[in-house]
Amino acid sequence: MIVLGLEGTAWNLSASLVSDDEVLFEANSAYIPTSGGIHPREAAQHFASNVIGVIGEVLSSTDPRSIEGIAFSQGPGFGPCLRIVGTAARALALKLDVPLVGVNHCIAHIEVERWKTDLLDPMVLYVSGANSQVLSYRQKRYRILGETLDIGIGNCLDKFARSAGLRHPGGPKVERLAQESERYLPMPYVVKGMDFSFSGIATAAQEAMKSASLEDICYSFQETAFSMLVEVCERALSQTDKSDLLLAGGVGANKRLQEMLAIMCSERGARFFAPKTEYLQDNGAMIAYTGLLMLSNGVHTPITDSGANPNFRPDEVEVLWIKG
Amino acid sequence: MDQGIIEVVTGAEAAVYIQTHSVIKKRVPKKYRTAELDIKLRKERTKLEAKIQSDARKVGVPTPIIREVNGFDITMERVEGQPVSLVINETIAEQIGEVLCTLHSAGIAHGDPTTRNMIVSNTRIYLIDFGLASYDRSLEARGVDVHVFFQSLEALHENYRALKKAFLAGYGKKCQDVEQVISKVEEIKGRGRYL
Repeated sequence: MIVLGLEGTAWNLSASLVSDDEVLFEANSAYIPTSGGIHPREAAQHFASNVIGVIGEVLSSTDPRSIEGIAFSQGPGFGPCLRIVGTAARALALKLDVPLVGVNHCIAHIEVERWKTDLLDPMVLYVSGANSQVLSYRQKRYRILGETLDIGIGNCLDKFARSAGLRHPGGPKVERLAQESERYLPMPYVVKGMDFSFSGIATAAQEAMKSASLEDICYSFQETAFSMLVEVCERALSQTDKSDLLLAGGVGANKRLQEMLAIMCSERGARFFAPKTEYLQDNGAMIAYTGLLMLSNGVHTPITDSGANPNFRPDEVEVLWIKG
Repeated sequence: MDQGIIEVVTGAEAAVYIQTHSVIKKRVPKKYRTAELDIKLRKERTKLEAKIQSDARKVGVPTPIIREVNGFDITMERVEGQPVSLVINETIAEQIGEVLCTLHSAGIAHGDPTTRNMIVSNTRIYLIDFGLASYDRSLEARGVDVHVFFQSLEALHENYRALKKAFLAGYGKKCQDVEQVISKVEEIKGRGRYL
């Protein structure tokens, strides 16, 4: 089967064509804010101006009649962005007269990795701007075992980075500055059962700007926030007896986070997988491939149910493509 | 102090050394986190666990007597008896209900009240492992406790329906709001999050 997928939940507009075995083509148009963080309306305007271009590139890479389905990111994400890709996907499906399928962005991050690695049933840490969750598959759903009680880790990093005068995206800049320090300043460490909270760290880091160096704050910020994530992952592995941990989402590109997870896994005898950056970041291939799995299992989304779902939770999706 | 170690149980954050008359729980260092944070967390949690466990005992919930708290280690009494998971019946389930209601009424949530974390000793039900316990009066925390207990029944015991019923009868003796707790448990179950 060949499926065209459209990703557009936040910053990256991406269209991709996949078959059962490989990514055939991908075209991207990233929205880069001129100042501040991602502004949903500006991102949506960027998507609206470029969506015809990226789709056109994909269509000209193939015979459009070979396309058997259209997949799109239905959520979670910014409503204005989701509506642009949703509209484009509906138009394409009607024009090509093929089924439409709305994909959960978070599940797509997981499925593209299961496709590209030999992972059958991993524990997943999904960390991006808006999302921070620990998930694993059980009985036809990706269950959320732990998650943030307030903001996503990426938003927390960005919020602090902006207040420190660092340009968007703040995460890589915080990571680089953190490498210059080994002086730990205590910050709020909040793990409640299997959930974690980041808003206290953002506030504490801004407060610390008055008296400490930016390097020390970046270091302490990362050490505290990442330790919370790693602790919950370890507990999740211990409770479920799963032996593989998969990292997903843009914040997963952070080398220190990868290192901490790798240490934890090696101490427990578990395997750790950090994907290539192209799949950690938002991409059209993951949407196209997950759409392919859904369509192959008889799932499609009627036009009337294809509206944007900004708070789409992964456990709302019945996972029919994993047997058992 | 006796030295013979009968068994060592390792969890996500601690190793438990079971000796003839005492049990030592040691919070092990985690290499992934920076030393200052590691030491701080292990000290705070060791102190908190010991405090909650002895507070529970003060309000009438049988828990092992804490003998010593030293840095990252808690030495406590070893309670002789059988794990509830091996001997549970309706009478015991009802007793567990009463014990958990007493704990909750004191504003304490256990955090992990599975049948493996309970011991029957001389007809009394002991709660052990307060590693995930917290001072929390919320309906959510109480619901999670009851849900976690129910899950452990469903996983291990065939007649779990009768056991649940007996538990709730025991819980409802003194906890008048048992109906609210039951509907919270249903809500939590629907989320499908806890194991």
